[in-house]
Amino acid sequence: MFRQATLEERRKYYREEWEVKEVPDFILDSIENREFGFDHFGRGPNDRYKVFTEPDYLKRFMKSKTPFAAYCSVAYYEKPRKRAGWMKSELVFDVDAKDIPVRTCSCSNVCETCLGEAKEIVSRLIDTIKGDLGLKNIHLVYSGRGYHIRILDKDVMKMDSDVRSQVLKYLVGADIPKDMYDDGVAVYKLEHFSIPFGYPRVFTERIKYAILHLTPDSKLDNVNQKLMEDVLKHRKLLEDDEWGLFKNRIGPIRYKKVVSGIASLNMGLVDAKVTIDLKRILRLPSTLHSKVSMKCIEVKNIETFDPFKEAVPEFVQDR
Amino acid sequence: MIPMSFINPLSDEAKQIVREEKVDLQRIYDENDILIDRIYSIKSQDTSDDAFIPRNYADLVIKRLEWYVEKRSNSNYNYRKFAFLFDPEITKFDLVAFYILCQAVGLKFGPNSRESRVLVELQGHIIENRLKELNLNREVREELTRRIMNELIVQDRIKWTVLSDLLGSKKIYLHDLVLKDGYIILDKEVFIKHFGEEIKHRQPEKMYNLFIGNRVKELIIIKMIMQNTENYIESVHEKANIIEPNPTILKIADEVTEVLSKEIKYYGSSQCSGPRGQIKPSPLSVDKFPPCIKVALNGIKSGGRNEAIVLLLAPFLSYARLNPHVFGSNTSLKISDLDKDLKITKNEILPMIYDAADKCSPPLFDDQPQEKVNINAKLGFGMHSELNLQHEGETTWYTPMSCEKVKMNMPSLCKPDDLCKRLKEINPLFYYIEGIKNNLE
Repeated sequence: MFRQATLEERRKYYREEWEVKEVPDFILDSIENREFGFDHFGRGPNDRYKVFTEPDYLKRFMKSKTPFAAYCSVAYYEKPRKRAGWMKSELVFDVDAKDIPVRTCSCSNVCETCLGEAKEIVSRLIDTIKGDLGLKNIHLVYSGRGYHIRILDKDVMKMDSDVRSQVLKYLVGADIPKDMYDDGVAVYKLEHFSIPFGYPRVFTERIKYAILHLTPDSKLDNVNQKLMEDVLKHRKLLEDDEWGLFKNRIGPIRYKKVVSGIASLNMGLVDAKVTIDLKRILRLPSTLHSKVSMKCIEVKNIETFDPFKEAVPEFVQDR
Repeated sequence: MIPMSFINPLSDEAKQIVREEKVDLQRIYDENDILIDRIYSIKSQDTSDDAFIPRNYADLVIKRLEWYVEKRSNSNYNYRKFAFLFDPEITKFDLVAFYILCQAVGLKFGPNSRESRVLVELQGHIIENRLKELNLNREVREELTRRIMNELIVQDRIKWTVLSDLLGSKKIYLHDLVLKDGYIILDKEVFIKHFGEEIKHRQPEKMYNLFIGNRVKELIIIKMIMQNTENYIESVHEKANIIEPNPTILKIADEVTEVLSKEIKYYGSSQCSGPRGQIKPSPLSVDKFPPCIKVALNGIKSGGRNEAIVLLLAPFLSYARLNPHVFGSNTSLKISDLDKDLKITKNEILPMIYDAADKCSPPLFDDQPQEKVNINAKLGFGMHSELNLQHEGETTWYTPMSCEKVKMNMPSLCKPDDLCKRLKEINPLFYYIEGIKNNLE
């Protein structure tokens, strides 16, 4: 399936299968404020600064140009043709299956396993986005090789890159929580796994996911092969949240090394550049990811979503 | 009762007090007997030397700064010399001094200056120390915090998004807050309702005190007042264009510079203390470069070429060569202030950048020749293909990005070694300064 679409296939897709109403409403509703970009030859999006004041114009363009890839901005502009008058941007998290730092498959591009793992990670991120951050206007898009979480809550769309980067680090568990706490009377040492709320809880969940998905080939900063073997040997304890036992088996100093190695690895769960860039363009849902011959589409229900059923264009089935 | 204005100089109560004071700016250097008497009456105050006692408003302004400079840089800092700063008795005078200081900094230096950064940080430290040193009993302190908080934030529940200014300026970190459904949990009952059952082997009340208690509330009010101070300086600065500044205020501004020049040797940046000790601009020592720069110099093999060359290397190499102490000194310098005829820039700095760009695969300028213009822009010479003195100032000379930004933008370049870790991975430039300094010692 994951082979590049031919020019003929692209034409077939856009002329027979694609319809402009499949572009999600959250984009169509603001179409006149967004910048569109296209890749016509498979060498990256270099036809940018395009504007469509209404869906019909976009439809005509797509049907006639049948681009290799189509993108639209996460930013809203007063003058999108000049990328000027920035108004606000969606808050975006990009999880690309091919770049997940720990994945149990060893495929060179993407496969069913790593796409499944990407989905699991996305689902955990969304839980935290809703439960901790209380954000509600969340759209999930299958990008063809991973997922885009696109958030349109009013309060977050005006935030600058620095706030976005803090949110990102919170969600992926990139900072090691402190372990000394004081109440003004005495100081207490508390491990992240013994704190069932706030950031330490998020961090514990992320660390647990990573440890349970490590493979003997995984590489962590400052973790040698012997330590990695021991982590793999004892990690079953974490399935039952036996953190204290796990830490004892590994040893406290070595445990620290593992935790700090995973914290920096977690930074790679999401492509940070996409989150902090306020003027990014993202693949336009409903369009074709020609490199892998899959559709980029909005996911309505993450629980039941199966890219191999819902994101496969007809021409692939006919191949 | 402790006046709210002792902690929050921007509260309505404080503004009212300052208005009633009707201070005549022409007379802020006149000896003020009431102030002097008050300070002599403070028990913990060291009165052995008259020089310790501020004699007028202007003196008080300077003493505030001196306290901050001494506390940061003098290991023999004597608290009793500055005890008056922590006694609510001086509230009225302190408020006037605060406003004079903000106006001096706002009018002369503006919100993005080093002076403004110091002042905002100084205000944060003063509040923190006042709360600590007031030695109030717990309830009084909590009541004070509650009152100030009520004035600062109108609604009873606070969404984390309200604090985005503070988060963006790193005055507060998202991971320091306990969040539930978008709200910051500050109230004990709410905390127990949400997490009480999850907490095993410990008392939920105790966990509340450890994680939230009054501490988070105090943190939020301190940071909000810091942010409001910054906003106030900015508003003063905006007015500077339409109002002729008072000469007395400008005189104070000069004195501010003088006091801070003592600190310049030590000052790192608003967030951190950088490496101490001075090094002079000198030819670049590649072996002293941090790991990320070494990788970038050898060319980037895939993805992130542009960022590594234009955003990381160009600012790093130019500052490391010409103004390594940029974060401790004047950030408004231009390249030509340090390299008059641009000889160093053209003969030493640009060749290194171009060489690294050439080593990228594919070579950066082959398919993106416009990146040369971008490099010139990042050095402050506008969007032009030639580095020309007449275009200087059209863009700003980009300061080297922080380690955090490197990690975000180019995670593959960040391979921290022991020195990176020791310097807390703040800025690649600090690594270079440290390396050069050790070489000199």
